[in-house]
Amino acid sequence: MMNYIWSGMLIAGLVFSYFTGNPSGFTDGLMESSEEAVTFMISLAGVMAAWSGLMEIASKSGLVDRMSFLVMPFIKLLFPKEKDKDTIAMILMSFTANIFGAGNSATVFALKTMERLDASNRRSIYASNAMCMFTAVSMSMLQLVPVNIIMFRKELGSEDPGIIIIPSIVAALVSMFVSIAVCRFFEKRSPRY
Amino acid sequence: MQGGLLNSISVLFVPVFVTVIILYGLYKKAPVYDYFIEGAREGLKTCIEMLPFIVAIFIAIEAVTSSGAMEVLQNLLSPLFTFFGIPEDLIPLILLRPVSGSGSLVIAEQIMRESGPDSFAGLSAAIMSGTCETVFYVLALYYGVTSVKKLRHALPAGIAGYIAGVFASVYLSYIMLIS
Repeated sequence: MMNYIWSGMLIAGLVFSYFTGNPSGFTDGLMESSEEAVTFMISLAGVMAAWSGLMEIASKSGLVDRMSFLVMPFIKLLFPKEKDKDTIAMILMSFTANIFGAGNSATVFALKTMERLDASNRRSIYASNAMCMFTAVSMSMLQLVPVNIIMFRKELGSEDPGIIIIPSIVAALVSMFVSIAVCRFFEKRSPRY
Repeated sequence: MQGGLLNSISVLFVPVFVTVIILYGLYKKAPVYDYFIEGAREGLKTCIEMLPFIVAIFIAIEAVTSSGAMEVLQNLLSPLFTFFGIPEDLIPLILLRPVSGSGSLVIAEQIMRESGPDSFAGLSAAIMSGTCETVFYVLALYYGVTSVKKLRHALPAGIAGYIAGVFASVYLSYIMLIS
């Protein structure tokens, strides 16, 4: 799947840069974007290390066990087969960080969740139902306060910058509901995974 | 000020959480410093593993957006969007959002500036930015750390949620303007 998406994007870019008579733009873009990728990773690395360290404390001191007990019913609804407490804690932290708009932290927890789900998927080349559900919910997870959007609105002289908060939450819930429904539909057809 | 309380919850989230972790660890007499180092080491390893995937995604996104391929796609699809009652100004945002978070934020700002923050397109753009995720980017990044090659229904679920989010954003802004 990624083979086609990735090469398709690159080829589309190449073809159009020939047509628009700007093939050197492609070269510049290639250099710049690969440099940006490394800069992005470095900016994420510190957050990654800090949260991984803190979560290690939470996990080994037993705090995770306590927390996961509280949210078990909700997690069970979406991930009926998930038993591992650390995985559940990672899922929960990723969703919570998302809700509170801590983007980098949410990414970190999501990646750790994916690693754990992958290990329990016995390194299969097929994504498990839990993985699909996790990515689907992550992608439509609501954010309580979209800070930078409200800031933009304020700067541009909106009458009430915060008025979009409730509609944003409603729209995110609609999107999440649809994603979960699609996952459920496919899960029913292949419950083994 | 409906944002006041929500804002302070967002601000307090991290400090409170860290306090709880540290105090609980000390209460359990755990070697918190050693655990932190262990975890941080694991986290950095994950980062190194991720880097090739991030480079791959960034290059592909740059190829599509900077070459003009994106603009051609916008022109092709514009009748479809008009049919569904989606303002034309929103098309670049709707198409760019799935691949690039920072790029689409710049476009959202432009739409809000040009159409006005409280206009139909401006409100839709603001709600969409808080609602619709960077579907392709997230999939590439998240599955990058796994050995998965077949995404199964992760892609259709993400796209369906995205489209639902777009429609919800547009219709909610419509409702906000007429009420």
